[in-house]
Amino acid sequence: MKVTIDNLSKKFGDVVGVENLTLHIEDGEFVAFLGPSGCGKTTTLLTLAGIYKPTDGVIRFGERIVNTVQPKDRNIGMVFQSYALYPHMTVFQNIAYPLKLKKVSKADQHDRVRQVANVMGIGELLDRRPGQLSGGQQQRVALGRALVKEPDVLLFDEPLSNLDARLRLTMRGEIKHLQKDLGITSIYVTHDQVEAMTMADRIAVMSGGHLQAFDSPDELYDRPKTQFVAGFVGNPPMNFVDVSVQASNGRFFAETESLRLEVQKARGAPPASHDGPVVMGIRPEDIQIASNGLVSGEIFVVEPLGREDLIDVRVGRHSFLLLADTENRHQAGERVSLAFDMEQVQFFDPETEKSLLWQ
Amino acid sequence: MKARDAVFDTLKVKVDERPQSLPQDLAEALRLGAISIIVLLVAAFLFSGVVGPLFALGGVEETVMDVLTRLSLLALPFVAYIGGASVARRYTRSDIARALGLAFSSTVLLFALISAGYYVLDYGVFAPRPSLQMTLSQTEAGIRVEAIVAGGAAETAGLQVGDVITAIRRDAVDLEAFNKRLGQALEGDPLRLRFRRGDEELQETVRVVLVSDKQLGALWPGLSLALAFTAIIVFLPGHWAPYIALVGLLSPLIVGYFWVITATFSFRTEGLVPLDGNDNFGGFTLKNWESIFVGNIAGLEFNIVPIFMTSLAIAAVMTFVVLLVSSMAGYALSRMHFPGRRFFLSFTLILHGFPAITLLIPIFFVLLRLGNIPIIGDLIGFNTIGGIALVMVAFQLPLGVWLMKGFFDNIPWDMERSALIDGASRWRTYWEILLPQIRPGLLALGIFAFIGGWNAYIIPATYSIGSGVSNLPVFLEELIDATAPVDWNQVAAVGLFQLIPIFIFFIFAQEYLLNIYAGGTKGSS
Repeated sequence: MKVTIDNLSKKFGDVVGVENLTLHIEDGEFVAFLGPSGCGKTTTLLTLAGIYKPTDGVIRFGERIVNTVQPKDRNIGMVFQSYALYPHMTVFQNIAYPLKLKKVSKADQHDRVRQVANVMGIGELLDRRPGQLSGGQQQRVALGRALVKEPDVLLFDEPLSNLDARLRLTMRGEIKHLQKDLGITSIYVTHDQVEAMTMADRIAVMSGGHLQAFDSPDELYDRPKTQFVAGFVGNPPMNFVDVSVQASNGRFFAETESLRLEVQKARGAPPASHDGPVVMGIRPEDIQIASNGLVSGEIFVVEPLGREDLIDVRVGRHSFLLLADTENRHQAGERVSLAFDMEQVQFFDPETEKSLLWQ
Repeated sequence: MKARDAVFDTLKVKVDERPQSLPQDLAEALRLGAISIIVLLVAAFLFSGVVGPLFALGGVEETVMDVLTRLSLLALPFVAYIGGASVARRYTRSDIARALGLAFSSTVLLFALISAGYYVLDYGVFAPRPSLQMTLSQTEAGIRVEAIVAGGAAETAGLQVGDVITAIRRDAVDLEAFNKRLGQALEGDPLRLRFRRGDEELQETVRVVLVSDKQLGALWPGLSLALAFTAIIVFLPGHWAPYIALVGLLSPLIVGYFWVITATFSFRTEGLVPLDGNDNFGGFTLKNWESIFVGNIAGLEFNIVPIFMTSLAIAAVMTFVVLLVSSMAGYALSRMHFPGRRFFLSFTLILHGFPAITLLIPIFFVLLRLGNIPIIGDLIGFNTIGGIALVMVAFQLPLGVWLMKGFFDNIPWDMERSALIDGASRWRTYWEILLPQIRPGLLALGIFAFIGGWNAYIIPATYSIGSGVSNLPVFLEELIDATAPVDWNQVAAVGLFQLIPIFIFFIFAQEYLLNIYAGGTKGSS
């Protein structure tokens, strides 16, 4: 089922939930809504579900306009962060509830619940109540309940946030696999960019009720169109420095009082033609501690992540996050020199926060 | 150390057990005692001398302040002994003799101090007491006058030494009964005494006067009481203190129920003691209960079944309507936005604060008018069970609506959204998903409403005047009105009979009632 959102706005009195959102989601696509708390992603999801009525704009499921269609008539399944299982019903009754409301016969209910439960690996738990299940099991029940009525669209509202880190990893894979298997159009709301990157075919990055970007994970990562996207996508986040880019003799240099870095022409020309200072962005993995580095700084803090160390290096009044091999055993206070991979560098207009490289 | 700490010290096991010298300890004990005395004296003065008159200025009766003053003065010696004993408590584990010695010496000293105060102020045992100003003794023939105070009440009335008093008015008395009667008399009360002088039968009226005799002998019982009290305080395990305080505070209730239960099963009671017709202990009987079911109490004929059914009907209708309306209104107020929602919420809260009594007369007229409407009037008009239930429901609803709103507020929105997406209508979501989750709240409110309806008196009594409709509390009142002298044991039996369903309710429902009093925070699962 294709989902088309045109100029969608949702306001609560004077408070803007989401404004002028336009998104076209293909049939069978897995789309993530990514953004910080309060960016309007859950509002959009609930509007799609029919819980909220749009203030303005049009939502289509396939060709059908669903703006005023009741949730029960949209044939959607939804998984909530809190799982929202019915505590007074058994697992079986929970999963069977949508079927019961559809007046599916008892025998059919039984078959379909069993089938879904087996797929979800909770076939043994059908007689228990939600309170007797672990978080991961509850999550599977919630997913089973959303899937059992074979919905046209699956909605996920931060479904993994309440799980522990390890289980989150497993469920991430399972949900993605299941979605690909069933081919159900899915919309997944999360504030965790790792989830969005790993699971989604395309990510809609939202901020302050506005769509910032809608693109594949790779595009968002390599060619962020706004500074917000660049900063939000990627972990640890991109480093930003205010620089001025100067052209001299066909070579381009990004300069501050403590830095002077050469940029290749493809990336250096657009910011050089921009009036005044620009924001340079560079990802932590594009900075190396190297003996032949051009920039020298002092390690401010070392955060061991296990596989590598996250190191905060101060250069003049700038601060750069970078990743380094743990074997080098860097210590805070150590003086190091840094090498920048300037082929991956990004430039943004400080006023509009738009990328100067990609439009 | 402050007086407050002194009191609280008795509540906890003393950690600080540094030994001090005896005079030091004694000084500390006395200081604590003295501080307690001063604090309570100041309190008593404030109640009687400052706050009381202020209240009186506004035309309000001073009874409360009077009671508080008396309580402060009554508690004064005991608090002082507690203060003194608290110092002794720190030695109960290490050195019992020392603890006892310290406690007793401090008590004796404090007692002396307080008694001196009483002596000076003509208070307590030294307060003026009613007297006829003659010395009496019990003899075979009656109460013999042994001595008479010159110019006193007895002499003025014409009694002489050697007279033998036999009765007050027509009631024969011995010395004990005479003193009891005298003790209850007020200043100036006339006591008409019958007495024999030689062979003559005479009677004279003596007026009671107040005399302060200041007999030091009266101090001994007080001192023994003080010492016994101190001993208890010194050896009382600290963790018992809260229970003792609770039982002490609840004692009026406990004694009351003890009496009610004893009274229903006995011929008559003197205080808490069941007596038979000859004033001997005993006289247990089931007659009081029997006559409830026979339907005849001291000539008042009745049938308990319709009365019971009326009570039940009021309570049941009330429970049903309160639950239905409260849960639906609570849901709407918790989940929906509509104009006037905030106003409605605060308005119902104000209504809840309104005492029902103030509306008694206006509602009377409303029901009277309602009664004139055909059909509806027969259901909810004046003199109908429906009308009574309607009024009671109205008074119960503000609380019910707020309680239910609280329970609904605790159910996560996601649960409801999930049900809507699963395909349920809003009504079905309310019925199948939300209501089962607030079942503890529904049960609690239901029980609350039922008890309210079952025990209702003022509203049924007001709105069923002159009709056959009466529930158990109203019947109880009728019973007291219609019988003279009132057979209180019979009244107690009817009262206890009324309580039986409530007892049964409480046994099964106390868990849920605790829920409601906990503020309705256990809404889900």
